[in-house]
Amino acid sequence: MFDFLFAVTEWLRTTALLDFAFWITETPLSLFMVENFWMVPAAQVIHILAIAAAFGATLMLTLRTLGVSGAGSTIEETSARYVPWIWWGLLVIVISGLLMLTAEPLRNMINAVFWFKMIFLVVTILITLGFQKRIRAAAAGVGATWVAGGGTKTAAIAILVLWSLIMVCGRWIAYVPV
Amino acid sequence: MASYYPEPTNIWESIEYSSLGTSIAESLWAFPTLETIHVIALVTVLGTIFVMDLRMLGVASVGRAISQISTDTLKWTWIGFIVAAITGTLLFTSKASTYMVNPYFLVKMGLIVAAGLNMLYFHFVTWKNVDQWDLTDTPTAAKVAAVLSLSFWIVVVFCGRAIGFTLGIYY
Repeated sequence: MFDFLFAVTEWLRTTALLDFAFWITETPLSLFMVENFWMVPAAQVIHILAIAAAFGATLMLTLRTLGVSGAGSTIEETSARYVPWIWWGLLVIVISGLLMLTAEPLRNMINAVFWFKMIFLVVTILITLGFQKRIRAAAAGVGATWVAGGGTKTAAIAILVLWSLIMVCGRWIAYVPV
Repeated sequence: MASYYPEPTNIWESIEYSSLGTSIAESLWAFPTLETIHVIALVTVLGTIFVMDLRMLGVASVGRAISQISTDTLKWTWIGFIVAAITGTLLFTSKASTYMVNPYFLVKMGLIVAAGLNMLYFHFVTWKNVDQWDLTDTPTAAKVAAVLSLSFWIVVVFCGRAIGFTLGIYY
């Protein structure tokens, strides 16, 4: 596992990403982020708070689908409440993440874990889009008694696992040697 | 027993030089793994608390009874909190004396206690007559509790991150 990640990182070092990452370090925004001690921690705080908002909303929607939370509420109501928080939260996650990326482009872009995190993020977004559409369609007109099928429940669990994997990668970016 | 650690001179060093503390500190994977679980647990705590606080403020979920929002979230808040507390304690043991001189760590612990007291007051005092405002506008006491809760937890996150950036500064 670690050998594999190391090999991927070594390969990333041979690509154009290296020059691109070095170029980013010279940009005014990157210099601003690096030269002000509190900018990186501040971006991380915003990143974590936005993850809490989006993941909390994801949790409420998936747990309702799994039938272990939100009893007596319809999918329409639950979606109306939580879906906007998932996407607005993700927007803030991406913006604060881009700031962190700009501050430390080499540590992130020449890092296998960062790219696996990005792959997990894209997969999570795609599954979430499909999931949100499917539960709305399946529960339409059924009301609060709607119970999700096995496939939909599997998708709900997959979304939570993927979010966790994204967070695992997020933390381990800082610990793998680059 | 490892002999290359100095004799502890206070309780925090005793914790840090215990076999548990040194095992976590010496392991390549233990600290990051515990930290990862800590992060997943704390966003669960925060995310579910946001849902409840925003309902208490009348900003979100206003169509759903506040007692139901409490049922929806509270169990998950507690599961997350217990996991975050256990992993946090284990992280603490690996650098106990370093954390104990770090002002951000001390403020963070104080704020978690304050958030706990705020929650206790809300659930045991303000919540008593919840049947009178379960579906209507929440009382001022509930709104105050929500603002305090949001403020405490946001600063807790800031302190948590600040600890990681200031570990070498105070000790």
